[in-house]
Amino acid sequence: MKFRKSAPRALIVIAALVIVALTFGANRLFGSMTSAVEQGQLDLMKAIITFNLAGTSTNSLARAEILAADRTVRRLLAQRDRPGLIAHTEAMFKEQREKYAVDQVQFHLAPSTSFVRLQNLALYGDDLSSYRPAVVAVNREQVAKKGIEVARTGPALFGIAPIRDLDGNHIGSVEFGMDIGPLLDRLKAAYGLELTLFIDEVPLREFATGMRAGVISEHNRVGPTMRLHSTDWERMSQLVNGDDLRVHDEVRDWVRDAAGVPYGVVLFPLRNISNETLGAIAVARSFQSTRGAATRTVVLQWLFALLGFLAVAGAILIVIRGWLVRPIEVISARFASVGTGERPQPDDDDRFLAVEMAALAAEHQRIADMIDGKRR
Amino acid sequence: MRRFLVQLLMMLAVMLPAHAQEPAPPPIPLPTRAPHALTETPPERAPAQATTLTATPIQTAPKEPDQPPPAARPAPAPAAAPAPASALASRARTELPLDSGLPLWVRAGLAFVDIEAIDENRESFTGTVDLRLSWLDQRLRYPAEEAPIGYREWRNGTVAAQLAAIWTPHVGFANLRGEPTRESRSLRIYPDGRLEFLRRVTGTFGSPFDVERFPFDRQRLQVELVSQDETADKVVLDYRQDDLLFSHADPNIKIDGWTMGAINLIRDPLAGWYGESYARLRVALEVDRKALETVPALFVPLLASLLIPLLAIWLNRSNNGEFEIKAFELTNIVIGGLFAIIALNFTINSERSILASSANTVSLLFGLNYLALAAALVINICLFRFNMVRLIAGRHVQHETVRYITWALPIAIVATALALILIAAA
Repeated sequence: MKFRKSAPRALIVIAALVIVALTFGANRLFGSMTSAVEQGQLDLMKAIITFNLAGTSTNSLARAEILAADRTVRRLLAQRDRPGLIAHTEAMFKEQREKYAVDQVQFHLAPSTSFVRLQNLALYGDDLSSYRPAVVAVNREQVAKKGIEVARTGPALFGIAPIRDLDGNHIGSVEFGMDIGPLLDRLKAAYGLELTLFIDEVPLREFATGMRAGVISEHNRVGPTMRLHSTDWERMSQLVNGDDLRVHDEVRDWVRDAAGVPYGVVLFPLRNISNETLGAIAVARSFQSTRGAATRTVVLQWLFALLGFLAVAGAILIVIRGWLVRPIEVISARFASVGTGERPQPDDDDRFLAVEMAALAAEHQRIADMIDGKRR
Repeated sequence: MRRFLVQLLMMLAVMLPAHAQEPAPPPIPLPTRAPHALTETPPERAPAQATTLTATPIQTAPKEPDQPPPAARPAPAPAAAPAPASALASRARTELPLDSGLPLWVRAGLAFVDIEAIDENRESFTGTVDLRLSWLDQRLRYPAEEAPIGYREWRNGTVAAQLAAIWTPHVGFANLRGEPTRESRSLRIYPDGRLEFLRRVTGTFGSPFDVERFPFDRQRLQVELVSQDETADKVVLDYRQDDLLFSHADPNIKIDGWTMGAINLIRDPLAGWYGESYARLRVALEVDRKALETVPALFVPLLASLLIPLLAIWLNRSNNGEFEIKAFELTNIVIGGLFAIIALNFTINSERSILASSANTVSLLFGLNYLALAAALVINICLFRFNMVRLIAGRHVQHETVRYITWALPIAIVATALALILIAAA
């Protein structure tokens, strides 16, 4: 074993291990901070979608309750005056549809018979009990309710309010259905989110028979669902696939790349008033800023670790070899010359020797002088 | 009397050419909507709004040559149906429609038809875009049977007169530099009062470029649509699903050195006076730079020039603390390298001035080059010329210091250069 090599190597390896361990620990720490930030973003996305779905349903309900309180509406429904009710509410519906994305307005007769669909005047008189649990519940309990449902003309966020005649007897209900698509567009505009609405194909085929043609098609099929609306399907199709939608009865999230950009994705299930899953909304947001910052930090941490290692290694090498090993080699060479009759030249750099080394050099000088004196 | 006649003749002289060039637009019937308690705007709201509204200019961008001056515009066509007696219905059709209340939602979409060139140094791009605006003006409703194809349409030559007769949103391209080199327009009015205004414009659009991550950067070729006359409480720019579908880039567009990406629409109100704001919509086409194409011209010389200072250090050898090559010769190499870097810096900055104006991979690599040269110069002067380490700690320490610098400095510089590139790629 050569001290010249072994000692610096041991010290450098120890220094390297310490630096690598510290850097790795710092990386993990920063990684967990990044994960916490991203989890916060995912939670915020869930909160945004929950709040807006609830808010839109409440808006529907508020409209329904206003209409349910209208004396003319109450009188016309009690008289079962269909043309009168249409004349009274049709213009209002058109304006609400144009300005506020109100997609559906329907009057029901208790317990669950469609009386007027303002969005499709030709379709009425059918029984809703098999697929509209909210309508049944409102007319049974005579209490207003709200939530998402798949109606004959498609899914919407409904608010349903009971209607009483002018004598106070329960006669039916009215519902407002807000289109989910414009809500998703508004969320994109407000928060920069990408959103896609998926509705299960089975209830859609079974109940939404009055929906516009072309919606239920192979083109829109994603796993067991139909894609009804997307703010950017080209991007979202890389983030959500059919396999992801096989199970969508609970909130899930993941991170996936689209066009080289990492996105955080939340799959938010849609449930009706009976808690049955009707589909899901996929929400995505770019995580490029957090991921980019994390990667940049990792690169910088390892660069600083390397520079730190080089500095420590340099110190070890220069101190051990420059102040210890090389002077010892020189002094050893001097001792080796003792008795050979050759005296090494005085070295000016001996003044830089450490005290211990200087003592050794002085001892060599003393021994050399002594041997030379005996010879003489 | 004479003065009055002169004024009358001058007015006729202005009006006659306009009537000669443009036929009067076909009459558009006013709405026949039945008044209803739930749908009517409260009567007390109308006068207050009317007092705040002024006549809206019809044109957004440069007027067509055949367009009559505002004073000579034909009067609105007479309504075919009798106008309702309400204050709202009696408003001139060139004024903001209030039938559906305020704000008026104008839906906008923008498609990139062609991108001719991207000029990073001027932070602009030249291209052709299609702007589509659609809104509802119930005063312009007409019976569906009057339009067998489903709408009435005016194009280019005839559209100006029609636009002069109705209210249109004054939405301009806020970042269009200079005049458009080509422009065409089309207007459709549907029986339900929905209007669709299409405008194809070729021109140069200013768009900020962020080259911090050069050459792995993604730029946004941006077109800014701004409602120029009406504040956001009167006119709002919005988009829905079909506007998003309309807002696309022609897949046949090829841009040298760039790959096309997706289009983003962002609503971003523009601050106005007295706390008001104006609706603004930014439509941005994302483009990714082809990073590999920048390697031969930029990164090979930049990384190669890093070898110069390293060479100036590596060439010297220490023999028991004594140097084999004179510092003078090595310093010459360093000074030559300095001039080479300055020349390269000047060349790149002349060609890509945007890289000189911000911190990015190239400017940081130039910084590293200068730093390496400075380190080489300091080592040459302090260590090789004046033996400063030997003067302080003796020749043994100097010998080991030189040996250490010979391998450690190249590692540090190469690692830093790689880190700068990796950070840009992150």
